[in-house]
Amino acid sequence: MLCKATNPAQRRFFARFTVAMLAYVLFLLPVVWGFVHFRPTGVLAYVLAVLPALPIVAMLVVIGLYLAEEKDEFVRNLQIQALLGGIGGILAVVSVWGLLEDFAHAPRLDLFMAYPLFWVFVGISTAVVRMRYR
Amino acid sequence: MKNRLRVLRAERNWSQADLAQRLEVSRQSVNAIETGKFDPSLPLAFKLARLFETTIEDLFIDEG
Repeated sequence: MLCKATNPAQRRFFARFTVAMLAYVLFLLPVVWGFVHFRPTGVLAYVLAVLPALPIVAMLVVIGLYLAEEKDEFVRNLQIQALLGGIGGILAVVSVWGLLEDFAHAPRLDLFMAYPLFWVFVGISTAVVRMRYR
Repeated sequence: MKNRLRVLRAERNWSQADLAQRLEVSRQSVNAIETGKFDPSLPLAFKLARLFETTIEDLFIDEG
């Protein structure tokens, strides 16, 4: 994906993404603290557990906004290819790993790992896409 | 798609960065179009044609 901002759409992307990441940290830390010290249950546990996920969803919206606002069609094309690589990579991993868990008793992969792994694949995909157009 | 961008740009003594600025795109975009690795959309192709005061057919070589 992007490394540095070279146009207004990219600057907006970085600003929004940073806010969403900060919100993630701000939500996650008190939620972890709350679960460790108070062990909430029922509806409260559900609400608290979902809170840190909201900024993650916001990050995905931020990506969508960027793609809609990016006026440079070539750059937009590169980003879409990189994101497709990320989506394909993570779908492949969870599909294969899910079957390995079911049939080969592989260690459990926590679902929340899907998001960071998605970005790992986006990073790999970005490098591959950039090499193609070098 | 092959094109005459590099020639037309050289005739005007424009760098890729100059052309990118006129088109309001990145220099990488100009390079990708120029080397035939990326085909521009119709609106961008028209913008290029207007900029070089020519036609799309004159800019891009149809090998089909």
